[in-house]
Amino acid sequence: MRMGQRDASQWLVSVAAYLYIGGFALLCLIPFWLVYIGSFTAEHQIVRGFRMFPTEFSLDSYRFLFKGNQVYRSGLVSIFITLVGTTGAVLMTSMFSYVVSHQKVKYRNVLSFYIYLTMLFTPGLVGYYLLISNWLDLRDSLLALILPLLFTPFNAFLMTSYFRTLPFELNEAATMDGAHELYIFFRIIWPVSMPIIATITLFYALSYWNDWFNALMFIDNPENHPLQMMLRRVVSNAQNLDYLNANVNIPVTASGVQLSTVCVTIGPIIFLYPFLQRYFVKGLTIGAVKG
Amino acid sequence: MNFLRELRKNKWLYAMALPVLVYVLIFSYLPMSAHVLAFKQFRPIDGLWGSKWVGLDNLKFFFTGPDWLRVTINTIYLNFLFITAGTITALLIALMLNEIRQALFKRISQSIVILPHFISIMVVNLMVLNFFNGQDGMINRVLENAGLQTVDWFQTPSVWPFLLTFIFVWKGAGWNSIIYLATITGFSEEYYESARMDGAKRWQQIWYITLPLLRPTIIVLTLLALGRIFYGDFGLIYGIIGDNSLLFDTTDVIDTYIYRSLRSAGMNSYSNAAAVGLFQSIMGLITILFFNWIVRRVDNDSSLF
Repeated sequence: MRMGQRDASQWLVSVAAYLYIGGFALLCLIPFWLVYIGSFTAEHQIVRGFRMFPTEFSLDSYRFLFKGNQVYRSGLVSIFITLVGTTGAVLMTSMFSYVVSHQKVKYRNVLSFYIYLTMLFTPGLVGYYLLISNWLDLRDSLLALILPLLFTPFNAFLMTSYFRTLPFELNEAATMDGAHELYIFFRIIWPVSMPIIATITLFYALSYWNDWFNALMFIDNPENHPLQMMLRRVVSNAQNLDYLNANVNIPVTASGVQLSTVCVTIGPIIFLYPFLQRYFVKGLTIGAVKG
Repeated sequence: MNFLRELRKNKWLYAMALPVLVYVLIFSYLPMSAHVLAFKQFRPIDGLWGSKWVGLDNLKFFFTGPDWLRVTINTIYLNFLFITAGTITALLIALMLNEIRQALFKRISQSIVILPHFISIMVVNLMVLNFFNGQDGMINRVLENAGLQTVDWFQTPSVWPFLLTFIFVWKGAGWNSIIYLATITGFSEEYYESARMDGAKRWQQIWYITLPLLRPTIIVLTLLALGRIFYGDFGLIYGIIGDNSLLFDTTDVIDTYIYRSLRSAGMNSYSNAAAVGLFQSIMGLITILFFNWIVRRVDNDSSLF
């Protein structure tokens, strides 16, 4: 009797769980599916709006996009700022977090308070704008896309809590052997910190890849527009299609081009996602729970 | 000198921290100086320090104008909706994912619910447009086919607090559930074992064991989010609403207001924006200190400082 009851409540909760999770997952997936399908839908069909399943496939909006120059320029800009920015950001953040987590460093709490303070009292948009555009004079420079995202306090705190979970003996043994601090960090600490380094790399790479705000504020020259800014232009003004491709000879709709542009910008994320997921769930979990 | 001896002793370690220290000095501390513009009439030729002092004129301009109450209330109200709906949904996702035994389904569905966190607001914006735009938006066509009244979403301010909340939850709840799920996974199996022995049903185990054990985590995360209640989600709101002034009544927050003031062609645009920015930074400081003080009383280990 008791056995049967337990099974029934277990079963009920399971059904609810599958329905809720399945439903939410579907809700998350549908917009992606519509965008993906829409980007392959023929021009005369898309005018009549989105469909779950197209009846006629067409590559015209991709042909239009890839025959123009802008997608290559913007793609290069995005790839360049993501590679350079992420490398610099991960190096800076990991070194700093390691020092803050290091037991031998007497002023480690001063260092971390120095960072906290900027979260307590924020500099504000006006100062930020003046800094990039007037004081550093980075208007229309790729540095205006790279420098602002080089450091995020949250990532540093996550890394610090991960490094604190590493046994200090690891460090002591190497110091006894007379190893240089830089050697200890890059040769001993890095290899055992891969989950958190992969996680932080992913976070920074995404913040670079997805950034449009800095481009909107500081980049006027279309040659230096990253992909997200290109997308914004195409979405905010349908007349902007000749910005993508000056000699229009393929019949396309603004909406079709917008959708194929979206697919180009999220393609790399979807492609790399399965490889990275197991790392970031682990990295985020260890950092957050032990922190 | 102790200080110098410590620096010399660990010179390589301090050198490793140096890039971030210099970076934060330039990119966070230096821009703070622009807060003085709240009390000045800024002219780019005169520079930050050369511009004329005008006392409280800029702050008066903001607080006597019609906008300050609206943007402040919108900021707090939208954040309140985001935090409430976001926390409940994320919590439910974590609790329900934890009940799923089928490993493949669990992994794939978790990947899918996290996915929206990784796409840019520009992509979300396009999706929103395709769903809600004018007559050919997907939602309106569905309403039309069902014989219902269509809604001109982009001209109806009253629906946007809820649409924005929905978008916020869609984008972030899966991501935010990771931390709850990780915490649940850490709970000892023994509690559940003995509850089962006593004949507790599955939902009773969730209600009487999992949720109470999760309470500190929920409280701390919520309080930390409340500490940032004076900061609007600029990316989400500006990315989707943009400069559509028809919707400002319900969607204009402090951050979008500052951005527009700064970009406006007005003579005093920098100083006006700086005055609002100073207001936000001070209110932000007070709320963070206040909620952090509460966090420390609830759970000392989880406070920010």
